[in-house]
Amino acid sequence: MTTIPFNHNMGAHCESGTITSLLNHAGLTISEPMVFGIASGIFFGYFHQHKSFTFPTFIVRNRPGDMRKNIQKRLGVKFQTFSFKQEQEGIEKLDGLLMQGIPVASQVDFYYMDYVPSWERAHVNVHFMVVIGKEDSEFIISDSYFPKPVRLKEESLRRGRFAGGNMSPKGFLFYPQYVPAEVDLQKPILKGIQKACFNMLHLPVPFIGIKGIRLFAKRVVDWPKLARDTEHLSHEVMKINILLEDQGTGGAGFRFMYATFLQQAAEIVNKPELKELSSELMTIGDGWREISLFAARIGKNRDLGPAKMAELSELIMDRAAVEERFFKQLKKSIK
Amino acid sequence: MKEKEGFVDCPEQQMILYVEKEDGQFGPMQTGSYITKNYINDYFTKRNNLVHSLREQISRREISPVKLFMVLEDLTTKELSARTRIPSRKIKKHILPVHFEQLSEDLLHRYAAVFNVTVEQLLKADPGTEPLHDESPKR
Repeated sequence: MTTIPFNHNMGAHCESGTITSLLNHAGLTISEPMVFGIASGIFFGYFHQHKSFTFPTFIVRNRPGDMRKNIQKRLGVKFQTFSFKQEQEGIEKLDGLLMQGIPVASQVDFYYMDYVPSWERAHVNVHFMVVIGKEDSEFIISDSYFPKPVRLKEESLRRGRFAGGNMSPKGFLFYPQYVPAEVDLQKPILKGIQKACFNMLHLPVPFIGIKGIRLFAKRVVDWPKLARDTEHLSHEVMKINILLEDQGTGGAGFRFMYATFLQQAAEIVNKPELKELSSELMTIGDGWREISLFAARIGKNRDLGPAKMAELSELIMDRAAVEERFFKQLKKSIK
Repeated sequence: MKEKEGFVDCPEQQMILYVEKEDGQFGPMQTGSYITKNYINDYFTKRNNLVHSLREQISRREISPVKLFMVLEDLTTKELSARTRIPSRKIKKHILPVHFEQLSEDLLHRYAAVFNVTVEQLLKADPGTEPLHDESPKR
């Protein structure tokens, strides 16, 4: 078997990057920010306690899998999906699709992707990439986090696809089976914005959306009590930077990419106020970036006393206030 | 963020950052990881200290290698249970040396597979050598 001709592109995020690459391959020209925005990707959730996390954490995008589902619903694309109870069945299906020349997205535990440097790896069952070929006992992978296609051992892909635990991939595969020849983006854009505003402002859950940012600000000062020691606390505080910047967000916890979406959307739906809001979100993102840099600095310096943790809390609380105003304006702008 | 402020020279970890270009348009730029560029050595220092501390606990027979890998790989008992298909109550026993030493070949293999190490590495509590920053793979 050889490699399927596939236009590899880097993306900010694994799921939106994977969907964008597959849609482009199937003939629908669309940008990653447009996919992210239409899919209502922007989000916030804080988890102080969770059975699968050893320490409090937060998320800045919607539930894994929802981007694909929202794109399917809003753009009229049909994705063919597969999940498997039997590993062998899943292995044979992937080989079969590649033999037919179909590049296919695969959901995996990021930890087993042996092309990723050790310091970046973590057990996260919701990494997405496109498998574009197989040579001997290695798969050829188009992973949007990497500048070029990479090679992955057969056994590593098997472990990644069939890892157990929270949000277990169960060998999940998907590819676009039908893509409309022409897509009118106006309604999908407005629907995507409407749902994003609902998620950020109105979801009746105390740890989601703006309420989630406020909860994060309130509870981050308790982190020192939960850490094993100062180095553990330093590691967890520095992870704020990683979660906002490095784990495929396009910078500032997806705020920069969403601002790009709003700028592109403004012209398509002919609403100049969206362009103004996109500039405002870029500035809001700069504030999140400031939090990232602050967290990295105090973590590195082990300067993690009550005063610095309170300062961090204030910076986060300030983001809650500006994002609440922003999403209310955004909601109003599309009425 | 302006494009000129977004560039970080870090070939070890490249990424896409959305920035404001000179013409006022927002778009992607390929750049490097700020935290990897500036703080990777701090990560390795903390990790090496953690491995050292956990190994000392193993030598004092306070914990087993299962606990070492759980801590290093950030896995809760419930998460490890779901991944190994070993009940949580048994895992709580296996993090103690006295029970770990009686583990069957099958259970050792199940733990090793999830931790992505060989059984020999598991028994020796050897997480492998972290590449130094300068030796890290280039992208």
